[in-house]
Amino acid sequence: MSFRGARPGRFARRLLVAGGLLACLAPASAQSGAVPGYLPNPPGTYALQDIMQAGDGRVLDSQGRTRRLAEFTRGRVTLLSFIYSSCADPAGCPYAYTVFHLVRSALEEDPAARRKVRLVSLSFDPHRDTPETLRLYGGPDANREAPVRWDYLTTRSTAELLPILSAYGQDASVEKDAAGRPRGPFAHVLKVFLIDRRGRVREIYTTAYLLPPVVVNDIRTLLLEEGREGH
Amino acid sequence: MPKTHRSHSLRLFAALAAAACVAAPARADETSCSPYTPLIQGQEDLVYVWTLGVKGVGDGSDKLVTIDVNPASRTYGKVVHKLSIGGRGEIHHIGLSDDRRYLWGGALDSNRIYVFDIGTDPAKPKLVRTIKDFVQKSGGYVGPHSFIALPGRMLVTPLSNSRDHGGETGIVVYNNQGDFVASHPIPKDGGGDGYGYDAGVNPAKNVFLTTSFTGWNNYMMDLGKLVKDGEAMKRFGNTSVMWDLKTFKPIKVFQTPGAPLEVRWSLAKGDNWALTTSALTSKMWMYKQDAKGEWQVKEVATIGDPAKIPLPVDISIARDGKSLWVSTFMDGTVRLFDLADHGKVREVYQKQVGSQVNMVSQSFDGKRVYVTTSLLGNWDKKGKDDEQFLKIYDWDGKELTQKVHIDFYKEKLGRAHHMKFQVRDLRQLKPLDTAADGLPLLAHSR
Repeated sequence: MSFRGARPGRFARRLLVAGGLLACLAPASAQSGAVPGYLPNPPGTYALQDIMQAGDGRVLDSQGRTRRLAEFTRGRVTLLSFIYSSCADPAGCPYAYTVFHLVRSALEEDPAARRKVRLVSLSFDPHRDTPETLRLYGGPDANREAPVRWDYLTTRSTAELLPILSAYGQDASVEKDAAGRPRGPFAHVLKVFLIDRRGRVREIYTTAYLLPPVVVNDIRTLLLEEGREGH
Repeated sequence: MPKTHRSHSLRLFAALAAAACVAAPARADETSCSPYTPLIQGQEDLVYVWTLGVKGVGDGSDKLVTIDVNPASRTYGKVVHKLSIGGRGEIHHIGLSDDRRYLWGGALDSNRIYVFDIGTDPAKPKLVRTIKDFVQKSGGYVGPHSFIALPGRMLVTPLSNSRDHGGETGIVVYNNQGDFVASHPIPKDGGGDGYGYDAGVNPAKNVFLTTSFTGWNNYMMDLGKLVKDGEAMKRFGNTSVMWDLKTFKPIKVFQTPGAPLEVRWSLAKGDNWALTTSALTSKMWMYKQDAKGEWQVKEVATIGDPAKIPLPVDISIARDGKSLWVSTFMDGTVRLFDLADHGKVREVYQKQVGSQVNMVSQSFDGKRVYVTTSLLGNWDKKGKDDEQFLKIYDWDGKELTQKVHIDFYKEKLGRAHHMKFQVRDLRQLKPLDTAADGLPLLAHSR
C-alpha cells in the first residue's frame, strides 16, 4: 500500500484516528505530522539521497550486553531516533515514539517488509536510561520476535554516547548538577534517521515534518531498491 | 497489532492528547531561515555580517564580523569579534545549519565554502571547515550562493558553471559533515533557461522554489561596463522553478522576467504561498496553488519606477505574511509593502537609508530592521556613494528610527553584505511550528 492514489487502508484509517489526537499536540507540526498537506510520492518512483554513513559506537542493548551500534543499522532497513525515557515534550521523543508505532503497524502486516525493517531508539541519557529502565520503557514493544523488531539501546557513559551523536549530527545539551549528572530535559532538535541495509543514511526527518505516510513510502522505496539490487 | 501493543499505543495517544490539547497558538519567527532551523523568537543577541575584504581597508581580507545587537548588553552596537578567512573571493551569502550550530558562507569567485562553528561560543565563531572542491564535486557548478538547511544537509544554489561561466547552473546538496551528496541541473526544457540564484523550502507542501540571476561573466564585471553591454544584459535569468522536495525533480517552470532573486514563503499558519522580486523589471511575483493544486505565478506589484531601475535586491517578509520589506539598491531605499490583500499589494512606507542598500532583515517580532550595503564587489557604487555600513532601526509600525550605525570602512572591516542573527544560549530555540508553549507543566526539548 502506498499513500498516493490508494484507497484508504487500515493504516490510513488508524492515521485518521491518531491524527485526531495528534492534531492538538503542537500547533502545526503535529497536524502536518499526522496527515501531509500533499500526496506523498509512490514508493519506488524516486531515489533517496545517499546522505552519509550511519554512525557506529559501543552501545548497551536492553539486556545490558555490550554491542556495536552497527549491528543494529545493517542488514535491515532501519529507522533510528535518539530519545530519552523522561522526555515529556509532545513535539519531541513522544511524537517520534508515536510515529514509530504507526510505521510499524503499517509494515508488520506487509510480507514484503516483515523481518526486513527494524526500529531503533537510542537514549541520550546513559545516566538515567539504564538497560533495565529501557526494558520497562519499551515494554511489549521490545518483543524481539516481532515482524518489525524494535530495539531500545543505551550507552555506558556520556563519553561513549558523544561520538555517536557527533557522527549522526544530532545536537543535544542538558544542564548538569554538581556531580555532573544531567538535570532536567535534553534540549535537542528531534531527528529520525532512515538507514538502508548497507548502513547508509538515506533520509533524515525532523519534528515538524516527520510524516508517517512519507516515512512508510520511503521505507518501501528502499525495500524496492534493494529488491532490484538482488538482496 | 497485538492487543498489548494496541492498548499501549492507545494509552500513549490519550496521554499525549490530554497533555497537548492546551497547545498554544501558532508561532512564527525570523522569516528568512530554513523551516528546519530553530528560530529566535525573542531578542537576538548577535548579528553576523559576511563582509567582503577591500584592498587597503584593514587586513583587506574577507571576514565574518560579529556584532552585539542586544540593547541590554554592555557592548550593544559594537563589533565584538571579527574572523578573517584570508584573501578575497567575492563572498556573498551565509546560511544556518539545521541545528543553528553552524554557519555556512560562500564565495562567488573563489568557489570556496566556509563552515563556522557558531554553537560552541556564538560570540566567537570559529572556522572549522573550508570546502575547496565545490566546482569539481558538483559537476562544474560555480559560485555557491544561497545555503538553505535541510535535515542533516545543506542545499546550495550556485550561480554559474565552469564551462562558459554563463548563467546555466544547478542545485547542490552537501551533508552537514561537508561531504558532497548530489547535484541537479536547473531545467532548460519546459520553458526553463537553466539559471539559478536562491531557493526557498516549503516542507508542508513538499516543494522548494528556485529563482535565477546571472553567471560569473556578469556578476564579476564592473556594473557600469555591464549595463552598457547589450549582449551581456541579455544574459540574465527570466525563470523560476518549483521542485519536488522529496525527489528533487522540477515540477513546473515559471516565466518571471528580469532576474527574480530572493525567495520567501509566508510563515503564517495555513499559508502556502511564496514571493520573489525581479531586479531588472522591478516586479513582485507571487506563487500559489490554484483550485486544482497546480502551482501558478502572478505579478502582484511594481516596485518604485521600473524606468529608473531601482534594482530591488532583497526582501524580508513579516512573520504573519501581511507585509514585506523591499530594499532597492540604486536609490538606497527600503520600502514596506502591504500584503494583506493579495489583489492590492501596495507600498505603504519608504525611507532612504543610505546612498546604496542591499540586504534587509527583520527580527522575529518585526520591531527591528537591519540593513547592509554591499551588493557585489564590482557592482557597489564608487567614491562617496560607496557607503558601507550596518544600520539597525526600530520599527513602530509607522516610522524607522535608527538605533545603531556601524561604518564598515571607518571600522576597517570592508563591504557589509549578508546578515544572520544568533543568540548566546541556543537551548531555548525551537524550529518553526514545533513550539510546546502553553504546556508550562511539561519540560521542553527543542
